[in-house]
Amino acid sequence: MHIGQYIPGDSIIHRLDPRVKIGSTILLSILILKGGVFSGSLISAFLMALIPASRLGLNPMVKAFRPVLVFFALLFCVHLFFTDGNPIPPFPLWRVTLTYEGLYTGAITTWQFALLILSASILTMTTLPTELVSGIERLLRPLKRAGVPSEDLAMMVSVALRFVPTFLEEIDTIKAAQMARGASFGSGPFIRRIRATLSLLLPLVLRTFRRADDLVTAMEARAYRRGPRSYMKELSMSRADYAAVLVMMGITCLHFIGM
Amino acid sequence: MIRVEDLVYRYENRNGRVLNGISMEIEQGKHVGVIGANGCGKTTFVRHLNGLLTPTAGEVWVEGINTRDTASVQAIRQRVGMVFQNPDNQIVGMSVEEDVSFGPGNLRLPPLEIHRRVEESLAAVGMEKYSERQPHTLSSGEKQLVAIAGVLAMKPGCIVLDEPTTYLDPSARKRVLEVITRLNKQGITIVHVTHDMDEIAEADEVVVLHEGKIALRERPSEVFTRVEWLRDLGVGIPKVTEMMWRLRQRGVTVRTDIFSLEEACSELAALIGPQIG
Repeated sequence: MHIGQYIPGDSIIHRLDPRVKIGSTILLSILILKGGVFSGSLISAFLMALIPASRLGLNPMVKAFRPVLVFFALLFCVHLFFTDGNPIPPFPLWRVTLTYEGLYTGAITTWQFALLILSASILTMTTLPTELVSGIERLLRPLKRAGVPSEDLAMMVSVALRFVPTFLEEIDTIKAAQMARGASFGSGPFIRRIRATLSLLLPLVLRTFRRADDLVTAMEARAYRRGPRSYMKELSMSRADYAAVLVMMGITCLHFIGM
Repeated sequence: MIRVEDLVYRYENRNGRVLNGISMEIEQGKHVGVIGANGCGKTTFVRHLNGLLTPTAGEVWVEGINTRDTASVQAIRQRVGMVFQNPDNQIVGMSVEEDVSFGPGNLRLPPLEIHRRVEESLAAVGMEKYSERQPHTLSSGEKQLVAIAGVLAMKPGCIVLDEPTTYLDPSARKRVLEVITRLNKQGITIVHVTHDMDEIAEADEVVVLHEGKIALRERPSEVFTRVEWLRDLGVGIPKVTEMMWRLRQRGVTVRTDIFSLEEACSELAALIGPQIG
Protein backbone atom coordinates (compact mmCIF):
# COMPACT_ATOMS: atom_id res chain seq x y z
CA MET A 1 0.00 0.00 0.00
CA HIS A 2 2.79 2.43 -0.73
CA ILE A 3 1.93 3.25 -4.32
CA GLY A 4 1.47 6.97 -4.66
CA GLN A 5 1.32 7.57 -0.94
CA TYR A 6 1.95 11.08 0.30
CA ILE A 7 5.59 11.86 1.02
CA PRO A 8 5.94 14.80 3.41
CA GLY A 9 8.00 17.68 2.09
CA ASP A 10 8.13 21.41 1.71
CA SER A 11 8.92 21.83 -1.97
CA ILE A 12 7.21 24.33 -4.23
CA ILE A 13 5.19 21.47 -5.72
CA HIS A 14 4.04 20.40 -2.26
CA ARG A 15 2.87 23.93 -1.53
CA LEU A 16 0.84 24.44 -4.70
CA ASP A 17 -2.92 24.70 -4.34
CA PRO A 18 -4.44 21.21 -4.69
CA ARG A 19 -6.95 22.57 -7.22
CA VAL A 20 -4.06 23.63 -9.47
CA LYS A 21 -2.36 20.27 -9.08
CA ILE A 22 -5.51 18.25 -9.74
CA GLY A 23 -6.46 20.43 -12.72
CA SER A 24 -2.94 20.16 -14.14
CA THR A 25 -2.90 16.39 -13.76
CA ILE A 26 -6.22 16.08 -15.59
CA LEU A 27 -5.05 18.44 -18.34
CA LEU A 28 -1.74 16.60 -18.72
CA SER A 29 -3.57 13.27 -18.95
CA ILE A 30 -5.69 14.56 -21.81
CA LEU A 31 -2.65 15.97 -23.61
CA ILE A 32 -0.74 12.70 -23.10
CA LEU A 33 -3.55 10.59 -24.56
CA LYS A 34 -4.35 13.00 -27.43
CA GLY A 35 -0.82 13.89 -28.37
CA GLY A 36 1.92 12.21 -30.39
CA VAL A 37 5.68 12.02 -30.13
CA PHE A 38 6.14 15.77 -29.84
CA SER A 39 3.67 16.26 -26.94
CA GLY A 40 4.94 13.10 -25.33
CA SER A 41 8.53 14.32 -25.38
CA LEU A 42 7.50 17.74 -24.12
CA ILE A 43 5.49 16.32 -21.21
CA SER A 44 8.18 13.76 -20.42
CA ALA A 45 10.74 16.53 -20.10
CA PHE A 46 8.32 18.55 -17.98
CA LEU A 47 7.53 15.67 -15.58
CA MET A 48 11.20 14.74 -15.32
CA ALA A 49 11.87 18.32 -14.27
CA LEU A 50 9.12 18.07 -11.65
CA ILE A 51 10.80 15.17 -9.85
CA PRO A 52 13.80 17.24 -8.66
CA ALA A 53 11.52 20.28 -8.20
CA SER A 54 9.33 18.31 -5.81
CA ARG A 55 12.42 16.85 -4.07
CA LEU A 56 10.89 13.40 -4.09
CA GLY A 57 13.98 11.58 -5.35
CA LEU A 58 13.91 8.63 -7.73
CA ASN A 59 13.28 5.91 -5.15
CA PRO A 60 9.56 6.42 -4.61
CA MET A 61 9.11 6.72 -8.39
CA VAL A 62 10.79 3.37 -8.95
CA LYS A 63 8.55 1.90 -6.23
CA ALA A 64 5.47 3.34 -7.93
CA PHE A 65 6.42 1.74 -11.25
CA ARG A 66 7.44 -1.69 -10.01
CA PRO A 67 3.92 -3.14 -9.64
CA VAL A 68 2.84 -2.02 -13.12
CA LEU A 69 5.85 -3.30 -15.08
CA VAL A 70 4.10 -6.58 -15.94
CA PHE A 71 1.14 -4.61 -17.21
CA PHE A 72 3.48 -2.50 -19.35
CA ALA A 73 5.12 -5.58 -20.83
CA LEU A 74 1.71 -7.06 -21.63
CA LEU A 75 0.49 -3.82 -23.17
CA PHE A 76 3.58 -3.59 -25.34
CA CYS A 77 3.40 -7.21 -26.49
CA VAL A 78 -0.29 -7.05 -27.38
CA HIS A 79 0.41 -4.14 -29.70
CA LEU A 80 3.57 -5.71 -31.04
CA PHE A 81 1.95 -9.00 -32.01
CA PHE A 82 -1.54 -7.98 -32.99
CA THR A 83 -1.09 -4.89 -35.16
CA ASP A 84 -1.42 -5.29 -38.93
CA GLY A 85 1.22 -3.74 -41.18
CA ASN A 86 4.68 -4.30 -42.64
CA PRO A 87 6.42 -7.30 -41.07
CA ILE A 88 9.88 -6.81 -39.57
CA PRO A 89 12.31 -8.90 -41.78
CA PRO A 90 12.84 -12.36 -40.18
CA PHE A 91 9.07 -12.50 -39.63
CA PRO A 92 6.53 -13.90 -40.35
CA LEU A 93 7.97 -17.00 -38.70
CA TRP A 94 5.48 -19.86 -38.55
CA ARG A 95 2.35 -17.86 -37.71
CA VAL A 96 3.95 -15.12 -35.65
CA THR A 97 4.27 -11.69 -37.17
CA LEU A 98 5.92 -8.62 -35.74
CA THR A 99 5.24 -5.38 -37.57
CA TYR A 100 6.88 -1.97 -37.63
CA GLU A 101 3.47 -0.48 -36.91
CA GLY A 102 3.06 -2.75 -33.90
CA LEU A 103 6.48 -1.80 -32.57
CA TYR A 104 5.59 1.87 -32.97
CA THR A 105 2.10 1.81 -31.41
CA GLY A 106 3.30 -0.51 -28.64
CA ALA A 107 6.10 1.85 -27.73
CA ILE A 108 3.86 4.93 -27.89
CA THR A 109 1.04 3.37 -25.82
CA THR A 110 3.40 2.08 -23.14
CA TRP A 111 5.07 5.46 -23.01
CA GLN A 112 1.70 7.19 -22.63
CA PHE A 113 0.72 4.94 -19.75
CA ALA A 114 4.06 5.48 -18.06
CA LEU A 115 3.52 9.24 -18.30
CA LEU A 116 0.00 8.94 -16.86
CA ILE A 117 1.31 7.00 -13.87
CA LEU A 118 4.20 9.40 -13.41
CA SER A 119 1.98 12.49 -13.37
CA ALA A 120 -0.59 10.87 -11.05
CA SER A 121 2.22 9.75 -8.71
CA ILE A 122 3.67 13.23 -8.53
CA LEU A 123 0.20 14.53 -7.63
CA THR A 124 -0.51 12.02 -4.86
CA MET A 125 3.03 12.03 -3.48
CA THR A 126 3.09 15.78 -3.05
CA THR A 127 -0.51 16.31 -1.91
CA LEU A 128 -2.05 15.28 1.42
CA PRO A 129 -5.22 13.19 1.05
CA THR A 130 -7.00 15.92 3.01
CA GLU A 131 -5.91 18.50 0.45
CA LEU A 132 -6.85 16.24 -2.44
CA VAL A 133 -10.34 15.84 -1.05
CA SER A 134 -10.86 19.53 -0.37
CA GLY A 135 -9.43 20.31 -3.82
CA ILE A 136 -11.88 17.94 -5.50
CA GLU A 137 -14.71 19.36 -3.41
CA ARG A 138 -13.85 22.92 -4.42
CA LEU A 139 -13.53 21.92 -8.10
CA LEU A 140 -16.93 20.21 -8.01
CA ARG A 141 -18.64 23.11 -6.25
CA PRO A 142 -19.77 24.83 -9.48
CA LEU A 143 -21.58 21.60 -10.38
CA LYS A 144 -23.85 21.98 -7.34
CA ARG A 145 -26.41 23.78 -9.47
CA ALA A 146 -26.59 20.62 -11.55
CA GLY A 147 -27.37 18.67 -8.40
CA VAL A 148 -23.89 17.33 -7.59
CA PRO A 149 -23.63 17.24 -3.75
CA SER A 150 -19.96 18.22 -3.66
CA GLU A 151 -19.66 18.50 0.17
CA ASP A 152 -21.30 15.13 0.73
CA LEU A 153 -19.08 13.50 -1.87
CA ALA A 154 -16.00 15.03 -0.27
CA MET A 155 -17.14 13.79 3.15
CA MET A 156 -17.64 10.28 1.76
CA VAL A 157 -14.24 10.17 0.10
CA SER A 158 -12.50 11.52 3.17
CA VAL A 159 -14.18 9.02 5.52
CA ALA A 160 -13.34 6.21 3.10
CA LEU A 161 -9.67 7.24 2.99
CA ARG A 162 -9.59 7.63 6.77
CA PHE A 163 -10.73 4.03 7.23
CA VAL A 164 -8.36 2.36 4.76
CA PRO A 165 -5.62 1.79 7.38
CA THR A 166 -8.24 0.70 9.92
CA PHE A 167 -9.53 -1.95 7.53
CA LEU A 168 -6.03 -3.19 6.79
CA GLU A 169 -5.44 -3.61 10.53
CA GLU A 170 -8.78 -5.33 10.84
CA ILE A 171 -7.93 -7.80 8.07
CA ASP A 172 -4.69 -8.61 9.91
CA THR A 173 -6.63 -9.18 13.13
CA ILE A 174 -9.19 -11.47 11.50
CA LYS A 175 -6.42 -13.31 9.65
CA ALA A 176 -4.50 -13.86 12.87
CA ALA A 177 -7.66 -15.04 14.61
CA GLN A 178 -8.35 -17.57 11.85
CA MET A 179 -4.75 -18.70 11.63
CA ALA A 180 -4.81 -19.29 15.38
CA ARG A 181 -7.61 -21.73 14.66
CA GLY A 182 -5.73 -23.52 11.91
CA ALA A 183 -6.47 -21.60 8.72
CA SER A 184 -3.62 -21.00 6.28
CA PHE A 185 -3.48 -18.16 3.81
CA GLY A 186 -0.08 -18.06 2.18
CA SER A 187 0.09 -21.61 0.84
CA GLY A 188 -1.89 -24.37 -0.84
CA PRO A 189 -3.58 -24.60 -4.21
CA PHE A 190 -4.96 -21.48 -5.80
CA ILE A 191 -8.62 -22.36 -5.16
CA ARG A 192 -7.97 -22.99 -1.50
CA ARG A 193 -6.18 -19.70 -1.12
CA ILE A 194 -9.15 -17.92 -2.72
CA ARG A 195 -11.51 -19.69 -0.36
CA ALA A 196 -9.36 -18.71 2.62
CA THR A 197 -9.47 -15.11 1.48
CA LEU A 198 -13.25 -15.26 1.12
CA SER A 199 -13.50 -16.41 4.71
CA LEU A 200 -11.98 -13.06 5.68
CA LEU A 201 -14.63 -11.20 3.79
CA LEU A 202 -17.70 -12.09 5.82
CA PRO A 203 -16.36 -11.07 9.23
CA LEU A 204 -14.89 -7.94 7.68
CA VAL A 205 -18.20 -6.92 6.13
CA LEU A 206 -20.10 -7.61 9.36
CA ARG A 207 -17.65 -5.57 11.41
CA THR A 208 -17.79 -2.81 8.85
CA PHE A 209 -21.54 -2.47 9.22
CA ARG A 210 -21.22 -2.15 13.00
CA ARG A 211 -18.44 0.39 12.52
CA ALA A 212 -20.52 2.39 10.07
CA ASP A 213 -23.37 2.48 12.54
CA ASP A 214 -21.12 3.75 15.33
CA LEU A 215 -19.52 6.28 13.04
CA VAL A 216 -22.84 7.73 11.91
CA THR A 217 -23.89 8.17 15.54
CA ALA A 218 -20.58 9.83 16.39
CA MET A 219 -20.84 12.16 13.40
CA GLU A 220 -24.39 13.15 14.29
CA ALA A 221 -23.35 13.75 17.89
CA ARG A 222 -20.85 16.26 16.57
CA ALA A 223 -23.58 18.20 14.81
CA TYR A 224 -22.92 16.81 11.34
CA ARG A 225 -25.60 17.31 8.75
CA ARG A 226 -25.52 17.06 5.01
CA GLY A 227 -24.69 20.11 3.02
CA PRO A 228 -22.29 23.00 3.46
CA ARG A 229 -19.73 22.98 6.28
CA SER A 230 -16.79 25.23 6.93
CA TYR A 231 -13.17 24.12 6.95
CA MET A 232 -10.13 24.97 9.00
CA LYS A 233 -8.02 25.42 5.91
CA GLU A 234 -9.57 27.49 3.17
CA LEU A 235 -7.78 27.18 -0.14
CA SER A 236 -6.25 30.31 -1.59
CA MET A 237 -4.26 30.82 -4.76
CA SER A 238 -0.74 32.18 -4.32
CA ARG A 239 1.57 33.72 -6.89
CA ALA A 240 3.21 30.32 -7.47
CA ASP A 241 -0.22 28.87 -8.24
CA TYR A 242 -0.90 31.46 -10.93
CA ALA A 243 2.58 30.82 -12.34
CA ALA A 244 1.78 27.10 -12.48
CA VAL A 245 -1.45 27.83 -14.34
CA LEU A 246 0.56 29.90 -16.87
CA VAL A 247 3.05 27.06 -17.33
CA MET A 248 0.19 24.65 -18.01
CA MET A 249 -1.28 27.06 -20.54
CA GLY A 250 2.12 27.25 -22.20
CA ILE A 251 2.37 23.47 -22.46
CA THR A 252 -1.14 23.31 -23.92
CA CYS A 253 -0.24 25.92 -26.57
CA LEU A 254 2.96 24.04 -27.49
CA HIS A 255 0.92 20.85 -27.75
CA PHE A 256 -1.38 22.39 -30.34
CA ILE A 257 1.49 23.99 -32.26
CA GLY A 258 3.36 20.69 -32.39
CA MET A 259 0.41 18.67 -33.65
CA MET B 1 -28.23 22.54 32.39
CA ILE B 2 -30.25 19.43 31.53
CA ARG B 3 -33.73 18.55 32.75
CA VAL B 4 -35.33 15.16 32.15
CA GLU B 5 -39.05 14.70 32.81
CA ASP B 6 -40.79 11.33 32.90
CA LEU B 7 -38.60 10.00 30.11
CA VAL B 8 -40.01 6.87 28.51
CA TYR B 9 -38.39 5.16 25.54
CA ARG B 10 -39.19 2.05 23.61
CA TYR B 11 -37.46 0.87 20.46
CA GLU B 12 -39.71 0.28 17.51
CA ASN B 13 -40.50 -3.37 16.76
CA ARG B 14 -39.42 -4.36 20.23
CA ASN B 15 -41.58 -5.08 23.22
CA GLY B 16 -41.09 -3.42 26.53
CA ARG B 17 -39.82 -0.05 27.58
CA VAL B 18 -36.08 0.45 27.68
CA LEU B 19 -36.56 3.58 29.75
CA ASN B 20 -39.52 3.68 32.04
CA GLY B 21 -40.10 7.08 33.57
CA ILE B 22 -36.81 8.78 34.37
CA SER B 23 -36.84 12.23 35.87
CA MET B 24 -33.77 14.12 36.97
CA GLU B 25 -32.03 17.41 36.74
CA ILE B 26 -28.34 17.81 36.01
CA GLU B 27 -26.93 21.06 37.30
CA GLN B 28 -24.21 23.02 35.55
CA GLY B 29 -20.71 22.01 36.63
CA LYS B 30 -21.71 18.74 38.31
CA HIS B 31 -19.97 15.42 37.82
CA VAL B 32 -22.59 12.70 37.53
CA GLY B 33 -21.73 9.01 37.34
CA VAL B 34 -24.18 6.60 35.72
CA ILE B 35 -23.93 2.89 36.47
CA GLY B 36 -26.15 -0.11 35.93
CA ALA B 37 -26.14 -3.67 34.66
CA ASN B 38 -25.90 -4.45 30.94
CA GLY B 39 -29.19 -3.70 29.26
CA CYS B 40 -30.46 -1.41 32.02
CA GLY B 41 -30.74 1.47 29.55
CA LYS B 42 -27.61 3.49 30.38
CA THR B 43 -26.63 4.14 26.79
CA THR B 44 -30.23 4.70 25.71
CA PHE B 45 -30.63 7.19 28.54
CA VAL B 46 -27.55 9.28 27.82
CA ARG B 47 -28.29 9.34 24.10
CA HIS B 48 -31.35 11.36 24.98
CA LEU B 49 -29.22 14.07 26.54
CA ASN B 50 -28.11 15.51 23.20
CA GLY B 51 -31.05 14.50 21.07
CA LEU B 52 -29.49 11.46 19.38
CA LEU B 53 -32.70 9.79 20.57
CA THR B 54 -35.98 11.57 21.22
CA PRO B 55 -38.31 10.34 23.97
CA THR B 56 -41.30 8.10 23.24
CA ALA B 57 -42.97 9.99 26.08
CA GLY B 58 -41.74 12.68 28.44
CA GLU B 59 -39.39 15.56 27.75
CA VAL B 60 -35.69 16.37 27.78
CA TRP B 61 -34.56 19.99 28.02
CA VAL B 62 -31.04 21.19 27.35
CA GLU B 63 -30.54 24.74 28.62
CA GLY B 64 -34.22 25.36 28.03
CA ILE B 65 -34.29 23.81 24.52
CA ASN B 66 -36.54 20.80 24.07
CA THR B 67 -34.71 17.99 22.29
CA ARG B 68 -37.84 17.37 20.21
CA ASP B 69 -37.28 20.71 18.53
CA THR B 70 -35.76 19.58 15.24
CA ALA B 71 -34.75 23.10 14.30
CA SER B 72 -32.44 23.28 17.32
CA VAL B 73 -30.62 19.99 16.81
CA GLN B 74 -27.28 21.69 16.15
CA ALA B 75 -27.66 24.01 19.13
CA ILE B 76 -28.27 21.00 21.37
CA ARG B 77 -25.36 19.00 19.96
CA GLN B 78 -23.08 22.00 20.42
CA ARG B 79 -24.11 22.29 24.11
CA VAL B 80 -23.90 18.61 24.99
CA GLY B 81 -20.93 16.76 23.50
CA MET B 82 -20.62 13.00 23.50
CA VAL B 83 -17.63 10.66 23.69
CA PHE B 84 -18.24 7.01 22.83
CA GLN B 85 -16.85 3.68 23.88
CA ASN B 86 -14.94 2.60 20.78
CA PRO B 87 -12.07 4.98 20.01
CA ASP B 88 -11.75 3.73 16.41
CA ASN B 89 -15.32 4.37 15.42
CA GLN B 90 -15.64 8.02 16.36
CA ILE B 91 -12.68 9.60 14.61
CA VAL B 92 -13.77 11.06 11.30
CA GLY B 93 -10.79 13.04 10.10
CA MET B 94 -7.72 11.88 8.21
CA SER B 95 -5.50 13.72 10.66
CA VAL B 96 -5.85 14.67 14.32
CA GLU B 97 -6.38 18.37 13.69
CA GLU B 98 -8.81 17.68 10.88
CA ASP B 99 -10.81 15.46 13.19
CA VAL B 100 -10.92 18.04 15.95
CA SER B 101 -12.04 20.61 13.36
CA PHE B 102 -14.97 18.42 12.33
CA GLY B 103 -17.43 19.70 14.97
CA PRO B 104 -16.65 23.41 14.56
CA GLY B 105 -16.77 22.89 10.78
CA ASN B 106 -20.28 21.47 11.12
CA LEU B 107 -21.21 24.58 13.10
CA ARG B 108 -19.86 26.54 10.12
CA LEU B 109 -17.45 28.65 12.13
CA PRO B 110 -14.93 30.79 10.24
CA PRO B 111 -11.55 29.13 9.50
CA LEU B 112 -9.55 31.26 11.93
CA GLU B 113 -11.90 30.48 14.79
CA ILE B 114 -11.75 26.77 13.95
CA HIS B 115 -7.98 26.93 13.93
CA ARG B 116 -7.91 28.62 17.36
CA ARG B 117 -10.32 26.10 18.86
CA VAL B 118 -8.41 23.13 17.47
CA GLU B 119 -5.21 24.37 19.10
CA GLU B 120 -6.92 25.12 22.42
CA SER B 121 -8.74 21.79 22.55
CA LEU B 122 -5.69 19.73 21.72
CA ALA B 123 -3.71 21.62 24.36
CA ALA B 124 -6.48 21.00 26.91
CA VAL B 125 -6.07 17.22 26.53
CA GLY B 126 -2.28 17.38 26.14
CA MET B 127 -2.26 16.26 22.51
CA GLU B 128 -1.00 19.46 20.87
CA LYS B 129 2.11 17.72 19.51
CA TYR B 130 0.00 15.19 17.62
CA SER B 131 -1.97 17.59 15.44
CA GLU B 132 -0.56 16.33 12.13
CA ARG B 133 -0.67 12.64 13.02
CA GLN B 134 -2.93 10.19 11.24
CA PRO B 135 -5.49 8.53 13.53
CA HIS B 136 -4.34 4.97 12.90
CA THR B 137 -0.88 5.79 14.23
CA LEU B 138 -2.32 6.68 17.65
CA SER B 139 -2.86 4.38 20.62
CA SER B 140 -6.40 3.77 21.84
CA GLY B 141 -5.89 6.15 24.75
CA GLU B 142 -4.60 8.88 22.45
CA LYS B 143 -7.56 8.37 20.12
CA GLN B 144 -9.92 8.77 23.06
CA LEU B 145 -8.17 12.03 24.04
CA VAL B 146 -8.55 13.24 20.46
CA ALA B 147 -12.24 12.36 20.65
CA ILE B 148 -12.54 14.47 23.81
CA ALA B 149 -10.70 17.32 22.08
CA GLY B 150 -13.12 17.02 19.16
CA VAL B 151 -16.00 17.56 21.56
CA LEU B 152 -14.24 20.39 23.43
CA ALA B 153 -13.76 22.27 20.16
CA MET B 154 -17.52 22.81 20.08
CA LYS B 155 -17.33 24.53 23.50
CA PRO B 156 -20.01 22.42 25.15
CA GLY B 157 -21.42 23.08 28.62
CA CYS B 158 -21.70 19.37 29.21
CA ILE B 159 -19.79 16.31 28.05
CA VAL B 160 -21.38 12.87 28.15
CA LEU B 161 -18.91 9.99 28.20
CA ASP B 162 -20.36 6.58 27.45
CA GLU B 163 -17.92 4.04 28.89
CA PRO B 164 -14.91 5.86 27.43
CA THR B 165 -12.28 3.66 29.07
CA THR B 166 -13.55 0.20 28.09
CA TYR B 167 -10.89 -0.35 25.41
CA LEU B 168 -8.03 1.29 27.28
CA ASP B 169 -5.09 -0.09 29.20
CA PRO B 170 -4.64 1.08 32.82
CA SER B 171 -2.23 3.95 32.11
CA ALA B 172 -4.33 5.30 29.24
CA ARG B 173 -7.40 4.97 31.43
CA LYS B 174 -5.70 7.05 34.10
CA ARG B 175 -4.78 9.74 31.57
CA VAL B 176 -8.34 9.97 30.25
CA LEU B 177 -9.81 10.09 33.76
CA GLU B 178 -7.41 12.88 34.73
CA VAL B 179 -8.52 14.90 31.72
CA ILE B 180 -12.17 14.33 32.65
CA THR B 181 -11.56 15.51 36.22
CA ARG B 182 -9.68 18.58 34.98
CA LEU B 183 -12.44 19.56 32.56
CA ASN B 184 -14.99 19.21 35.34
CA LYS B 185 -12.92 21.55 37.53
CA GLN B 186 -13.00 24.06 34.69
CA GLY B 187 -16.78 24.10 35.03
CA ILE B 188 -17.87 21.62 32.36
CA THR B 189 -20.70 19.34 33.42
CA ILE B 190 -19.69 15.68 33.16
CA VAL B 191 -22.04 12.73 32.74
CA HIS B 192 -19.90 9.62 32.96
CA VAL B 193 -21.35 6.19 32.19
CA THR B 194 -19.16 3.36 33.42
CA HIS B 195 -18.95 -0.24 34.53
CA ASP B 196 -16.15 0.53 36.92
CA MET B 197 -17.20 2.03 40.24
CA ASP B 198 -13.66 3.24 40.93
CA GLU B 199 -13.92 5.68 38.03
CA ILE B 200 -16.76 7.63 39.58
CA ALA B 201 -15.59 7.58 43.17
CA GLU B 202 -15.06 11.34 43.00
CA ALA B 203 -18.33 12.17 41.27
CA ASP B 204 -20.80 14.55 42.91
CA GLU B 205 -23.51 11.97 42.59
CA VAL B 206 -24.06 8.51 41.19
CA VAL B 207 -27.19 7.42 39.38
CA VAL B 208 -27.89 3.68 39.47
CA LEU B 209 -30.17 2.59 36.65
CA HIS B 210 -32.16 -0.60 36.86
CA GLU B 211 -34.67 -1.83 34.29
CA GLY B 212 -35.10 1.62 32.80
CA LYS B 213 -35.63 3.40 36.08
CA ILE B 214 -33.48 5.28 38.53
CA ALA B 215 -32.96 2.78 41.34
CA LEU B 216 -30.76 5.05 43.40
CA ARG B 217 -29.36 8.55 43.14
CA GLU B 218 -26.83 9.30 45.85
CA ARG B 219 -23.35 10.46 46.68
CA PRO B 220 -20.73 7.83 45.76
CA SER B 221 -19.79 7.11 49.37
CA GLU B 222 -23.41 6.27 50.07
CA VAL B 223 -23.75 4.06 46.99
CA PHE B 224 -20.59 2.10 47.69
CA THR B 225 -21.88 0.87 51.03
CA ARG B 226 -24.62 -1.13 49.35
CA VAL B 227 -22.45 -3.79 47.76
CA GLU B 228 -24.89 -6.66 48.28
CA TRP B 229 -27.76 -4.67 46.81
CA LEU B 230 -25.69 -3.60 43.81
CA ARG B 231 -24.69 -7.18 43.19
CA ASP B 232 -28.34 -8.17 43.17
CA LEU B 233 -28.95 -5.55 40.50
CA GLY B 234 -26.00 -6.94 38.58
CA VAL B 235 -23.90 -3.82 38.96
CA GLY B 236 -20.39 -2.92 39.81
CA ILE B 237 -18.91 -6.31 40.42
CA PRO B 238 -15.82 -7.26 38.44
CA LYS B 239 -16.45 -10.24 36.17
CA VAL B 240 -13.84 -12.35 37.95
CA THR B 241 -15.43 -11.71 41.31
CA GLU B 242 -18.81 -12.65 39.91
CA MET B 243 -17.42 -15.86 38.45
CA MET B 244 -15.90 -16.85 41.80
CA TRP B 245 -19.13 -15.94 43.54
CA ARG B 246 -21.11 -18.17 41.20
CA LEU B 247 -18.67 -21.06 41.59
CA ARG B 248 -19.08 -20.75 45.32
CA GLN B 249 -22.86 -20.92 44.90
CA ARG B 250 -22.49 -24.19 43.01
CA GLY B 251 -20.54 -25.60 45.90
CA VAL B 252 -16.98 -25.05 44.72
CA THR B 253 -14.88 -23.91 47.64
CA VAL B 254 -13.11 -20.80 46.32
CA ARG B 255 -12.47 -17.35 47.75
CA THR B 256 -14.86 -14.64 46.56
CA ASP B 257 -12.73 -11.61 47.48
CA ILE B 258 -10.84 -11.83 44.20
CA PHE B 259 -10.70 -8.88 41.80
CA SER B 260 -7.96 -9.70 39.28
CA LEU B 261 -7.61 -12.35 36.62
CA GLU B 262 -4.18 -13.45 37.89
CA GLU B 263 -5.51 -14.11 41.37
CA ALA B 264 -8.45 -16.04 39.99
CA CYS B 265 -6.13 -18.12 37.79
CA SER B 266 -3.87 -19.10 40.63
CA GLU B 267 -6.84 -19.81 42.89
CA LEU B 268 -8.41 -22.09 40.28
CA ALA B 269 -5.07 -23.67 39.34
CA ALA B 270 -4.53 -24.53 42.99
CA LEU B 271 -7.95 -26.15 43.01
CA ILE B 272 -7.64 -28.10 39.75
CA GLY B 273 -3.91 -28.85 39.91
CA PRO B 274 -3.92 -31.76 42.43
CA GLN B 275 -6.71 -33.54 40.56
CA ILE B 276 -4.86 -33.52 37.24
CA GLY B 277 -1.73 -34.59 39.05
